[in-house]
Amino acid sequence: MGLVRYIGRRLLFVAPQLLGIIMVSFFLVKLIPGDPAVLMMGPNASQQALDELREKLGLTLPLPQQFLHYIVNVVHGDLGTSWQTTRPVLDDLMDRFPATLELVTLALLVALLIGIPLGIVAAGRSRGPIRKLADVYGLLAGAIPDFWLALVFIYIFYSTLHIAPAPLGRLDLEVVAPPIVTGSMLLDSLIAGDFDALWSSASHLMLPVMTLGLVNAGPILKMTQSTVERTLSSDFIRYAEMCGLPKRTVMRQAVRASLPSIITIVSVLYGFLIGGAVLVEIVFSWGGAGQYAVQGVLNADLNPVLGFVLFSAVFSLVVYLFVDLLYFVLDPRTRG
Amino acid sequence: MADFQPATETAPLLRVEHLRVSYQSFESAAVPALRDIDLTIAPGEMVGLVGESGAGKTTLARSIMGLVPRPGRIDSGRIEFRGQVMAELPDEERRAILGRHLAMVIPNPRSELNPVLTVGQQISNVVRAHSKLGAAEARQTALRMLEAVRIPDPGRRLNAYPHELSGGMAQRVVIAVALACEPSFVISDDATSGLDVTVQAQVLELLQDMVRSRGASALFITRDIAITAHFCDRIAIIYAGEIVEIADTAAFFDRPAHPYSIMLLAAFSHSGDLRRRWTRTEIAVNGSAAGCAFAPRCVRRQPRCEAEHPALRTTHSGHAVRCHFPVEG
Repeated sequence: MGLVRYIGRRLLFVAPQLLGIIMVSFFLVKLIPGDPAVLMMGPNASQQALDELREKLGLTLPLPQQFLHYIVNVVHGDLGTSWQTTRPVLDDLMDRFPATLELVTLALLVALLIGIPLGIVAAGRSRGPIRKLADVYGLLAGAIPDFWLALVFIYIFYSTLHIAPAPLGRLDLEVVAPPIVTGSMLLDSLIAGDFDALWSSASHLMLPVMTLGLVNAGPILKMTQSTVERTLSSDFIRYAEMCGLPKRTVMRQAVRASLPSIITIVSVLYGFLIGGAVLVEIVFSWGGAGQYAVQGVLNADLNPVLGFVLFSAVFSLVVYLFVDLLYFVLDPRTRG
Repeated sequence: MADFQPATETAPLLRVEHLRVSYQSFESAAVPALRDIDLTIAPGEMVGLVGESGAGKTTLARSIMGLVPRPGRIDSGRIEFRGQVMAELPDEERRAILGRHLAMVIPNPRSELNPVLTVGQQISNVVRAHSKLGAAEARQTALRMLEAVRIPDPGRRLNAYPHELSGGMAQRVVIAVALACEPSFVISDDATSGLDVTVQAQVLELLQDMVRSRGASALFITRDIAITAHFCDRIAIIYAGEIVEIADTAAFFDRPAHPYSIMLLAAFSHSGDLRRRWTRTEIAVNGSAAGCAFAPRCVRRQPRCEAEHPALRTTHSGHAVRCHFPVEG
């Protein structure tokens, strides 16, 4: 019962949150210097043609009015058109967002599989080889830029060993993409029973997922380690020690108590990676949403940028809602 | 070791000998926390350990359990429990003793109980760690223990989380955890300091009942000397990491000999005059390391007190005091 009310109350705030996010990003984006009309028409366009185009794009209206127009359109499901692709932004994003989501989700899974076990084990000991490994790993993962690691992997696995396919998109050129169901190339290939596509997409995912996963395991490792360490020195763990509970039980209790903090960092990282994966997307010509947004910023193509922000915001809000539900399950104190 | 003996009727349950514990520090010299503590506790005996915050009470309790809080270190001396040296036991064996034979009643149960486990789970966890009972039987034991500590509606409380309990109720739960495995020795570390005075009396009585009825021994650590009077067989006063006076309860209250003991007693007295007489208002800032630790606050300070460290001397049978000029009569 409390849960339903809780979700209802959370959803009530989604609309104003989104409105706020759109507003801030709209005006920030408008602050970027650059005239879309000039970029669209090229340097040789006449003043008159430019004026007409500006008029047509609604750029001559005062900013608040432009914002109002945008909001009304968004409510009607129209995110505007990108002048670079000449397609509706909604369609573009529907193509590209799943590509980024698949990449980022798999990378996060890899990061979790490395960071959490290593962090937990390292937290339980103050020296020893595993602790050393965790310390060095945390440092390296924090210091190595992901795009550089991506280039190294391409050099090793593609150029030298010829294990990985060329870093050009999500599929081999000769492989036909499976019909879109989920947007995830792996799942769609499975659904279509197309094992060529499955193999091809998996091998294309390998390097970028490894790159992002290895780099982002760093913060997860560090966060897990420090949270579990802090929990291990907390009052109730000390009490568990005094009660003579077996070491395994004590460790399990410590990990269990650390979960909310770990989940928090993971959820923040998830939302961040949607845009943060852009350099890796560029290196692998992934055609993802981050790449799309960056092109928009560079070319004063504002609708893709705003559309991307909106998509990411919705995604983050969904993740955070899910995380709040997890807290609800994990911590009896939040159930009130 | 030659002096290893199985615990028998006559052998003490706990023997602390010349224990020195200090806290290590990077910036300065190690800070001594316990200095030459000697203490034996016989089976079935209840000993009160009284001292102010920072006197080393908790450090002693933790040392006995073999869990010296970091960065503390046992410098010398030995602690034997049931004939075994706790500090030398392998981790697994120490865990098998803690909670089973040597149980702790903690002072802040609402922060020391696991916030995400129910009361029933926490009691059963301890029971199951130390017995071969299955989940259902352990739960039965937990229920029995909640009844024994007189928690109203124990069946429902079994499923309560610590944050849903009042302070007094949480304290009862901790007592239930401590006594669930029928330990032979219970350490109560300032266990009732966080409770209302009325609840405090009830909980203390309960703890005493449960310990006595099971024939267990107890080390009763407190800052409140008055509460020890009612149910401890012996009382030890600790000051700055040293036992300054130890005696049978009756003898102690009859003839307290150390100025610090009298100061503590006077603090609870109704006579303002008595309090003023035994409490020094201007405290000497730098006591000498060589002298008596209490000298800076002592109303009976003499030159010898600052020059020479007093030894713990037996004045009457079973009554020992660490003072050059103990109070007579």
